[in-house]
Amino acid sequence: MRIVMIALLGGLLPAGTLMAQDASTDLQDGRKVAGMCRTCHGLDGKARIPIAPHIGGEPVDYLISQLQAFKTGSREHEMMTVVARGLSDDQIGKVALWFNHFTINATLPAGTSEDDAPELCVGCHGVNGISELDDAPNLAGETNIYIETQLKAFRTGKRTHDVMTPIAQDLDETEMQEAADWYSKITIDITDPAPK
Amino acid sequence: MTKRLLMASIALAISGSAYAQAPAPDNLEKLSNFQSTGTTEFTVIEQGGDYAEGIKRTLERIKLPAGFKIGLYAIVPDARHIAVGPQGVVTFVGTRKDKVWSVTDRNKDRVADEVKDFAPSLRFSIPNGPCFSPDGMLYIAEQNRVLTFPAAEFFYESPDVAAFNVVKQGDLIPPSEESYNHTARVCKIGPDGKLYISLGQPFNVAPADKLDLYREVGIGGIIRINTDGSGREVYTYGVRNSVGHDFHPETGELWWTDNQVDGMGDDIPPGEINRQTAAGQHFGHPWYGGGDVRTNEYAGQEVPYDVVMPAVETVAHAADLGMTFYTGKMFPAKYKNAIFSAQHGSWNRTTPVGARVMVTFIDAEGNASTEPFAEGWIDENEEYLGRPVDVAQLRDGSIIVSDDLAGALYRIWYEGN
Repeated sequence: MRIVMIALLGGLLPAGTLMAQDASTDLQDGRKVAGMCRTCHGLDGKARIPIAPHIGGEPVDYLISQLQAFKTGSREHEMMTVVARGLSDDQIGKVALWFNHFTINATLPAGTSEDDAPELCVGCHGVNGISELDDAPNLAGETNIYIETQLKAFRTGKRTHDVMTPIAQDLDETEMQEAADWYSKITIDITDPAPK
Repeated sequence: MTKRLLMASIALAISGSAYAQAPAPDNLEKLSNFQSTGTTEFTVIEQGGDYAEGIKRTLERIKLPAGFKIGLYAIVPDARHIAVGPQGVVTFVGTRKDKVWSVTDRNKDRVADEVKDFAPSLRFSIPNGPCFSPDGMLYIAEQNRVLTFPAAEFFYESPDVAAFNVVKQGDLIPPSEESYNHTARVCKIGPDGKLYISLGQPFNVAPADKLDLYREVGIGGIIRINTDGSGREVYTYGVRNSVGHDFHPETGELWWTDNQVDGMGDDIPPGEINRQTAAGQHFGHPWYGGGDVRTNEYAGQEVPYDVVMPAVETVAHAADLGMTFYTGKMFPAKYKNAIFSAQHGSWNRTTPVGARVMVTFIDAEGNASTEPFAEGWIDENEEYLGRPVDVAQLRDGSIIVSDDLAGALYRIWYEGN
């Protein structure tokens, strides 16, 4: 069902009326759940505090995997652990759909060459910080300290990921800062493609 | 290098060429030797315009006691804690990002004329907490470093300033304990001339296996050090995440706010304003979640310390942050030695509370009572229009309030009726 809905939202399949209604209902349910998120992440997924990432337009799979990780304790955060432990799988799926349905556009700072993008990161996170994979987050416009904090978490084992753990373990502080600075300087614009 | 590129190739399915590896020049070392770093550019924040007009419309909604007015003082992105220069020339404002802002009001019309980044040749990391000593030394407490800037009100005009380590990178807390949340450090100089720095603990409830380390280092506490970095001791124990403190102007006692445990319900546990009367007192975390409410994690366990209960219990989850004692002459007499403090506002309460400036009156016996002073930053749709962080006093006796959501400083003054 989730895959069908994503396809519908992406406009890739002709939408039957009934299925379109289902998708719309799920989205509105997700919007209600997002009321718990908005003080930090914004109702549109554009973060309101620097310690929180932007999640508007984030891949659904990534959002679900992280919320589940907070819920089960495999990823810990003082605030997110409290929030996620109270969410059902259904709520997690729907709130992920809500934040995913936004469109994010990223713009490199004037005078920047794409060739200077951090080479280790671009394959998954894109030159402009927009994810190329279902399992990778957008990094565009995140606070550099947020990105560095995550890299250090992978390095120390507080977060684990098959790809990120070994990459982070092999980066020094300067390399982490350079990668974080590249993505934090990107300007983002998050819009609702179908405002209600 | 080979391993890294191999990983990258697997992960990214692209071939890697040389990864840029320019060693970061150590600008702090240069500045400590009064050398130039070559940095010439400031980031200057535009004042006025549509953005300022939007904030001014919000301020029209703010309710204050009779005779008080509020106005926009400056646009300051991500504005957190405030340090007003003792000469009245520059106000420094910290952030939870990588910048410290210098704010000047040259023509003294009580609205800032210029906002630009301070010491742009330095890379700050969560420089939330600036504070001044009476003799004009600026201190900035970061995530894991404390720097000092002599004559900051003089040097700030140049991108290169004189800068020295008080606590060098990695020595404020063990690097393994670094976090981004609960890492908004606050510093103030005490009546004893020492630096008092709050160190939040990064968990909702501190876990048992961290308590010995935290007690030793002062995480989940407030430490004090001499201004040269020597003589470190833990002054306050049993703190969850304090983001505001100041010294009573007459008694010299340390008062501080604390943010209490989440996830126990909308109305418990209470927030706290605490009064500390002696070094080494314990205020209850993690056995207590706020006030006398016991945490679920430590329920039924014997509390191994004598615990000091808060002077004031504030509304649950309102997030009491920065505070200052009022010593100015502008406000009516009843505000003398009262505490002005900021409530940042709740983040996961069903109905948001806070986002206001509070005032706490303390009577001759030391009894304290807190009431709202400036409010109206939560609108009818329960959306935040601003989130106050800190309060500081200007030399004319007016106060300024920082807001990290709007990215602004407000000034509150008294005109009478």
